[in-house]
Amino acid sequence: MQWLKKRMRLLLALVEALTGEAETVSYPKTELELPKGYRGAIQLDEEKCIGCGLCVMDCPAHGLELEKESKSVYKLTYYPARCAYCGQCERACHRQAITHTNQLPGSTTDPESIIVILKDQKEQEDSDE
Amino acid sequence: MDKMNIPIGPQHPLLKEPLRLNIEISGERVLGGILRLGYVHRGIEKLAQTRNYNQNVSLTERVCGICSHVHTTTFCRAVEALLGLELPERVHYIRALMCEMERIHSHLLWLGILAKHIGLEMVFMHTWHDRESILDVMEEMSGGRVAHAVNQIGGVRFDLDEDHGPMVDSTVKKLKVDYEELLDVIEHDTTLKARTQGVAPLSTDDMKRYCVVGPVARASGVDVDMRRDDPMPPYDKLDFQVITHPDGDAWSRTYVRLQEIRQSLHLCKQIIDDIPEGPISVRAPRKVPAGEVVMRSEAPRGELFYYLRSDGSDYPARLKIRTPTLPALGILPEQLSEIHIADIPVVLAGIDLCIACADR
Ligand code: SF4
Ligand code: SF4
Repeated sequence: MQWLKKRMRLLLALVEALTGEAETVSYPKTELELPKGYRGAIQLDEEKCIGCGLCVMDCPAHGLELEKESKSVYKLTYYPARCAYCGQCERACHRQAITHTNQLPGSTTDPESIIVILKDQKEQEDSDE
Repeated sequence: MDKMNIPIGPQHPLLKEPLRLNIEISGERVLGGILRLGYVHRGIEKLAQTRNYNQNVSLTERVCGICSHVHTTTFCRAVEALLGLELPERVHYIRALMCEMERIHSHLLWLGILAKHIGLEMVFMHTWHDRESILDVMEEMSGGRVAHAVNQIGGVRFDLDEDHGPMVDSTVKKLKVDYEELLDVIEHDTTLKARTQGVAPLSTDDMKRYCVVGPVARASGVDVDMRRDDPMPPYDKLDFQVITHPDGDAWSRTYVRLQEIRQSLHLCKQIIDDIPEGPISVRAPRKVPAGEVVMRSEAPRGELFYYLRSDGSDYPARLKIRTPTLPALGILPEQLSEIHIADIPVVLAGIDLCIACADR
């Protein structure tokens, strides 16, 4: 009896394996389904950013750099090759200027080529902040 | 018979992480082993002194690739204790849910490795398949498969939405069915029993002498579990059992871990059912007052210990992490004596070493 039960279970498992859905996706032919909160490269809403530098302060991997000349002249640079995709900058920004996209920068042998200048704020006549 | 030394590691198919063992043998008998550690030492404790508290959340997450969440939970709880923060109930529940799912996937991963070492490829495939479904849920909830980035000082970063509850629920249901099958294999499979029962057993006294914690200690009859002995909320409100077994051999370690999976599944269900509504974080001040604190949690491999000292500056003055693998490594030389060469993989796998944790 036990013997038969075991064989039946094996048979069932076999049928399930043959008819069931595959667990893997044949990437890149099939689109990968990413989770909702996926943390890819970051993007900046330039309107919201005031150049306070909180995100730079909390980034654990030196993925962001802020060159600040004055309150209204600053440059925020993002280094995807250093980024750990940890989500710390998104949380640190009090103005919700940073969000994660679901894209990762493609692989490259030249990390310099994927650096993104997120915001390059030049002197303005009528500074809004 | 002549004695011979066999070096194993730091790179060896038997080991998943770098570790060096110098094993002395005589014929088929293993006489003893000498251990060398430190191949994945990254200086995390020192590094933590050069980062601010928020940066350290991401840093502690990278101590371990399997129990990353419990590391950040313990660190955040330590900082929150220094800040004197009162957290909303919902935060504790979300943290505990992730902790339990982490325990399930860690134990399943371990069971798969043990099964593979003793030639049960089928069990390996099934456990890793089940583990994948838990990882999928964790990824869906947090956005990351390994680095979940759930915690922040003062709360958690994501909230459970209406999809997450049913998702956890259905996965728990599915795993409960698979669990019964696995238990059947562990309890009745002759190959598995022949390879694990009676292999290098250690007594309760030995475990206490070496200060071993976690499932390895519990499998030798040491009744210790931080979830019950020093509970972080909400474990004091949840119902679960601490599993122990008296034998102390590789089989009882398997049995204890498998029973713990069931307890964790039970806990996940309770958490999902009981989770209160409310905010998921409170505002935490950046300035951490001077003081020191010790925080303990139950990681998948046992008690995880964090000591944090703040001198009131932006950076911690000292962060000490004691991971559960560290004391478990102490019993390894003792375990590696008077066994057969073929038992070495079982002994190594039985302890569930996490070298990245131990070396930090
Ligand atoms: S992105 Fe946010 S945190 Fe970073 S500089 Fe701009 S406003 Fe400040
Ligand atoms: S995601 Fe993390 S590592 Fe990347 S830029 Fe933001 S804070 Fe830095």
